[in-house]
Amino acid sequence: MRKKGLVILGVLALAAVAATLLWAAPAYASKLSEALAKTPQGVGPGMINPGAPKGFMGITGAPRHFFLFYILWGIWVGWIFSSVGAFGGIMAGVGHISVFGLSDYASSFKKTNPGLNKLMTDAIRTSNQYLVGLSALISSFTYYRMGRIVLPLGLCLAIGGILAGYLVPLLTVGEMNVNLYVGFFGIIVFAVAFVLFYETTPKGQNKKKAAKAAAKAFEEAHIKKTTQVSAEHAKGVQVTHWGLSKISFTFYGQEFSFNPLWPLLGGFVINAISALIGVGGGFLYVPFLTSVAGLPMFIVAGTSALAVLVGMVVNIFNMMVMRQVPVDFLLISTELIGIAIGSVLGPVTSKNIPEIWLKRIFVILAVYVGIGYLTKGFMGHSILPGM
Amino acid sequence: MEMPSLYLFLDPYLIWFYRLTGQTGWNFLIGTSVVAVLALMVGEFTSFLASLMVRRHFTQVAGEAKKYQDLSMEALKAGDRPAYEAANKLANDAFNKSFFMQLALSATFFWPIFFMLGWMQERFQGIEIPLVVVPYSLGFVGIFIILYALAYFLFKRVKYRLPYFRRIKGILDANNLQGGNSPALTGVQPVPARPAAPEPGGKG
Repeated sequence: MRKKGLVILGVLALAAVAATLLWAAPAYASKLSEALAKTPQGVGPGMINPGAPKGFMGITGAPRHFFLFYILWGIWVGWIFSSVGAFGGIMAGVGHISVFGLSDYASSFKKTNPGLNKLMTDAIRTSNQYLVGLSALISSFTYYRMGRIVLPLGLCLAIGGILAGYLVPLLTVGEMNVNLYVGFFGIIVFAVAFVLFYETTPKGQNKKKAAKAAAKAFEEAHIKKTTQVSAEHAKGVQVTHWGLSKISFTFYGQEFSFNPLWPLLGGFVINAISALIGVGGGFLYVPFLTSVAGLPMFIVAGTSALAVLVGMVVNIFNMMVMRQVPVDFLLISTELIGIAIGSVLGPVTSKNIPEIWLKRIFVILAVYVGIGYLTKGFMGHSILPGM
Repeated sequence: MEMPSLYLFLDPYLIWFYRLTGQTGWNFLIGTSVVAVLALMVGEFTSFLASLMVRRHFTQVAGEAKKYQDLSMEALKAGDRPAYEAANKLANDAFNKSFFMQLALSATFFWPIFFMLGWMQERFQGIEIPLVVVPYSLGFVGIFIILYALAYFLFKRVKYRLPYFRRIKGILDANNLQGGNSPALTGVQPVPARPAAPEPGGKG
């Protein structure tokens, strides 16, 4: 079943890539060179200073920092990933947008060369995606290897993901100025802040305590009863009904069903967020499917992993190959070195810092960043400093 | 950025592999293959090193996800829906933590790829190799990815013949970490299901 699922989803991804090749026009010249050629030269804002040292994407006069700065920010991002989780992706985006000064630099071209402004927005998005999304791919793939696959579920997720991975770059690459992107990023930050905040509230905490108590009670009641795997249980996932409004399957003797529209929409929205913003995506599939569809984590993790794979392939192929969005590989590599170091530091410090206090600090940070980016994006300037 | 001076230092050594034959196409393929293999080896080295440093914490985090995942399966087998939902929720929470930890650890494997691509960007930006079937061309990134993927699958077969990886495998095996593979790349493995006991007097 797993091989069949892999083959079908692989064929889908190849079909999406082939369709993109057939219907998209090739871009022979470098988009960045073209955009730079159209930008006035000089030392003022919105101009390219040919005498200045090279910075971001090799552009002379673009923001440049000592490489250790990028590594330090990467350590911060990696530390958050390995301590708390989701918020690390947000911080990676904050680095590109605010800390390294890339969004302000891109904004400076709004009047002198809007095309360069939009190209730099796309480069920031793609950089976020490489930094976070590619690693999420590996992380998801490990869960594919551990889990079972529900083929119809995987198909629905993948179809939604492919559609988003094709449509979102088609509609937005070269069209979105940096302020609009920052505004959308702010919305995502608020969503993450809300989830983090809920987990720190008494209601959120009590829900988790109740679940732990129920799980412990079951464990103790069954600890001496080693349940053997019957023939029914050993069948694994068995699809019992295919329909446009309902798909049913059995797993371990229990029946599960879902409306295929939900994973289709979910796959579309999740991969659209990933393609548009560059962060988020991979980690959203499992909570979405376990919460909305009530499916077991054991099979959802493996199934959603393939959806992540397909979505990422389409996103990156579309952005980098077809839309030819330039990427600063050196910047990403120095950040990844930092994330690698942070990933090792996180486990060391997590023993000493309670997770709930980390989440509370990040909620405050997320609200600050969210307000800053929303106002910067949709009002033209941030009401908070540093954004 | 000051990093380009590092590229300037490495450039004479890396570009040497691009000048081995008299044929431009072959030179590019050989040179890029060497660069891809170097990126792979360094990534594997740093990935395993990081895994050694975080193995205890990773085992604990991944173990919690596995524990609640197994418990949710047991609850399913027993037909206890409330217990299943409770354990499934906890498995979900633990999965998120484990997922992000793996995500961060993946950086220990990926960074050399982007480092090498950064050098190639300085050297080979604008070089395109036309494809035969379609009116498109492949740039240095596409060729690097293809050669890297080939190198990855070939190296996988011979990895544990190298002393360093064999030694690390032994250490990770001792920590019951998926037969010695880096947790950054392999994650949690499920408990294999026990087959049903033969029925007494039956045809088992």
